[in-house]
Amino acid sequence: MGRIIVVTSGKGGVGKTTCTANLGMALARNGRSVALMDADFGLRNLDLLLGLENRVVFTALEVLAGQCRLEQALVRDKRQTDLVLLPAAQNRNKDSVTPEQMKQLAYALTKKYDYVIIDCPAGIEMGFQNAIAAADEAIIVTTPEISAVRDADRVIGLLEAHRVKNVKLIINRIRPAMVQANDMMSVADVQEILSVPLLGIIPDDEKVIVATNRGEPLVLSEEASLSKMAFNNIVQRMEGKEIEFLDLNAAYDTLFARIRRFFK
Amino acid sequence: MILSQSLIMQPNLAPQEAAPAEQSNQSGHIFFKADQGLIYLHLPPNKAMSTDWHQLWEQLLHRLAASQKLWPPNTVAYLVANDRLLDHRQLEQLDAALSEANLQLKRVFTSRRQTAIAAVTAGYSVDQQSPTLPLASTPVATLPSAPIPIPTMVEPLYLQTTLRSGGEVRHPGSVIIIGDVNPGSTIVADGSILVWGRLRGIAHAGASGDRNGQIMALQMEPTQLRIADQVARAPAKAPTQFYPEVAYIGFDGIRITRASEFAKQKVRLEWMFDNVYKHHSVATRLPIE
Repeated sequence: MGRIIVVTSGKGGVGKTTCTANLGMALARNGRSVALMDADFGLRNLDLLLGLENRVVFTALEVLAGQCRLEQALVRDKRQTDLVLLPAAQNRNKDSVTPEQMKQLAYALTKKYDYVIIDCPAGIEMGFQNAIAAADEAIIVTTPEISAVRDADRVIGLLEAHRVKNVKLIINRIRPAMVQANDMMSVADVQEILSVPLLGIIPDDEKVIVATNRGEPLVLSEEASLSKMAFNNIVQRMEGKEIEFLDLNAAYDTLFARIRRFFK
Repeated sequence: MILSQSLIMQPNLAPQEAAPAEQSNQSGHIFFKADQGLIYLHLPPNKAMSTDWHQLWEQLLHRLAASQKLWPPNTVAYLVANDRLLDHRQLEQLDAALSEANLQLKRVFTSRRQTAIAAVTAGYSVDQQSPTLPLASTPVATLPSAPIPIPTMVEPLYLQTTLRSGGEVRHPGSVIIIGDVNPGSTIVADGSILVWGRLRGIAHAGASGDRNGQIMALQMEPTQLRIADQVARAPAKAPTQFYPEVAYIGFDGIRITRASEFAKQKVRLEWMFDNVYKHHSVATRLPIE
């Protein structure tokens, strides 16, 4: 039986889908079989980020309606054949599936795949309820902004109530320079409020935007980058390895900065 | 199994019989009450604010998660449903949630016929009358000859949890929270509030008007403090160092004092507070809306 992990945040635009795509891809590169489930019915994006948009024939809804088999709806990635995507329907809304149906799909997928990663829509309504129904683990994605952290806090509370106990945190879009200048919440600040174990820190990186627009998750690029490293580290941690967190401050921790901090 | 079939077949209870049970739980919140090895789960009446089953369900799950360690395995639970309409599926859901939290649902008290029937079909003992509840405000009231009850405090609510954004705890007594109270969450207690952790949300002590209510926290950084009819917010500039602190109503509104000082102060006259002691921080007093 594979692990069912939901990637969620509460607030929109913090990078849930980007994280899902990259983590899925990195896990697949690591030799794991991965099924990504898009739970964002009506506003699906995961297929775009993976560059699989034009290969979607059936969606989860057709599987549930019995119009096709589950295997037919799964879109296999050309680059990483261990990765499949179960797309969401674009022409419906979140009320067209029930938590029970999502459970059915996820449980069917765990039989064949090591990881089933569910990309949760923003918000805490029906779409959220659907996405977390089957999950036994959750990854909270947040950015170092008070609004995102507040929403993440709410979502963690909801997850706890729904007995998703294994909750981990990814802090996305950290800008070390701004943190140094005290203009942005630091990792410690975010952790202090949310008090859930940290799974990873991802620096703000323009390359992610480029990769997203190309439909080619960053972890596939040959070029080395901090954010790619961050994703790979997260995957290692998901696999149970102890990996040090990236020291994003290293480049900014100059003698001058230290002196300035000393006098603060 | 006690199946009071005759009661179920009766037409709906007269309103005056159903009324006393409702008084017990006007806050619109569920609460647990332990009595002689039994756990009573009180649901708010239909008229209360949060009537939506979904909200109620969320509340229940939160509450269960926070108080699971308080009772031994296989503790028998009684459900006091008041006039709330529960169907078979909802009872099943309740049962599943309770049994996950070591509670065995055995008996259902209700004043609704449909709920009673659903409960009987599901195999619970059913009491379709206002039960003599162990809650201070109710039992006397249910006995026709008893005098009008004097409102007394119920036992404190003890929760071991992080109260997160959107979380709300309401209790007709004092509330003790072991854990942090995050911004965006609310505690409303008729008694005092003790937070063994950081208090960053909204805390309202003495909500039914008791000016002796106190709010205590290891780290006091509230969004807002309310005691009885007074409102205060924390100073705009957060203190650099935190001590356990107590908020109470002084003679000019809500004041915050270090816990270590507070015990000493209690024995002195109120006017001396301002003259003799320098307070660590004084909250701004605001008129209540």
